Amino acid sequence: MVRGLAAEVPWPPSVDDFFLPPIAGPDNWFTKFTLFVWVAVAITIIFFLVAYRNPKLVPTKSQWIAESAYGFVRDGIAKDIIGAEGIKFAPYLASLFLFIAFNNLWGIIPGVQLSPNTHIAFPAFLAIISYVLFIWVGVKRFGFAKYIKNQLIPPGAPAWLLPLVIPLEFASTFLFRPLTLALRLFANMFAGHVILLVFTLGGFVLLGSDNFALAGISIVSWAIAIVMTIFELLVALLQAYVFVLLTSVYVQTSIAEEH
Amino acid sequence: MTDDQSPRRDSARGADQAYTALGYLISGMLIWGFVGWLVDRWLDLGGIATAIGVVMGVALGVYLVVKRLGA
Repeated sequence: MVRGLAAEVPWPPSVDDFFLPPIAGPDNWFTKFTLFVWVAVAITIIFFLVAYRNPKLVPTKSQWIAESAYGFVRDGIAKDIIGAEGIKFAPYLASLFLFIAFNNLWGIIPGVQLSPNTHIAFPAFLAIISYVLFIWVGVKRFGFAKYIKNQLIPPGAPAWLLPLVIPLEFASTFLFRPLTLALRLFANMFAGHVILLVFTLGGFVLLGSDNFALAGISIVSWAIAIVMTIFELLVALLQAYVFVLLTSVYVQTSIAEEH
Repeated sequence: MTDDQSPRRDSARGADQAYTALGYLISGMLIWGFVGWLVDRWLDLGGIATAIGVVMGVALGVYLVVKRLGA
C-alpha cells in the first residue's frame, strides 16, 4: 500500500504544483488563492475589530497583540525610518505588513502549504502600490520637476557627466526598485514551497524505493521537511518585514531634502 | 527627537544601500554595455564598443556609489 502511495506521488516537483484546481465562477475566477486571500484579510479585519471594540486602558490579551503589531510597524518601521512624518504612513505600512505576513503564512499552514505570494501577480501588485506611493509623496512634496531632479541628478556631479549617469539613476530608482520588491517576495515564497515539496514528496519516493536503506532515509527527509517548515515561518515574517521596511526607505528618500 | 541615527535605522539604511549599490553597478554594465553593443552592430566593430561600454558603465556605477552612498 505504501508502495502504491509512493507511485502516486508526482515527482519531481514542477511548476504545475503551484496551480491549484479552480473552485467556481465564470472563467473559474474564484480559485483557492482567492479564498486564501479573502480568509487572510477577513481574519485580520475581524481580529482588529474585536480587539479594539472595547479598548481598555489596561489592555486585554487580544488588544495587547493588536497594539503590539501596529506599534511595531508604527514605531519600529515608520517612525524609525521616515521620522516624525512617518506616522501618517503607519496605517498603510501596518496593513501592508499584516497582509503580506498572513498571506505568507498560508505557506506553512498544514493542509494548505501554498502561499498566494508564490504567484508573481500578488507581489507585483503590492510592489506597484508602493511604487506609486513613493513617487506620489515625492511629487507632492517637491513638485514633479524638482522631485525628478532630486532623484536623477547626484549633487555636485559635473555637467558633462550627467548624460552618462542619469540613465543609471533612472534605472536604479524607477525600474529596479519595484522589480526587486516584487521579485524578492515572490522568489522567497516560491523557493520555500519548492523546498517543502522536495523534502515531503522526496520522503515518499525514498519510502517507495526497493532499497531497504533508502526507505529508512525517508524519515530523515520528513524531519528536514519539519525543520524547513519552521524556517519558512521565519522567512514568511521576515519577508513581510523587509517589504515594508524597503517601502518606507523609498518613501523616506522621496521626501528627503538632501541625499 | 534626536533618534535619527538609531541602530535599526542604520541597519535598514545598510540593507537599502547594498541593494542600491548593486543596482548601480549592474545597471551601469547593462545600459552602457547595451549602447556599446548597438554601436557594435551599427559600425561592425567586432565587440570593441561593447567592451568599452561595459567598462564605462562599471566606472559610472562606481562613481555613483561613491557620490550617493559615500561619506
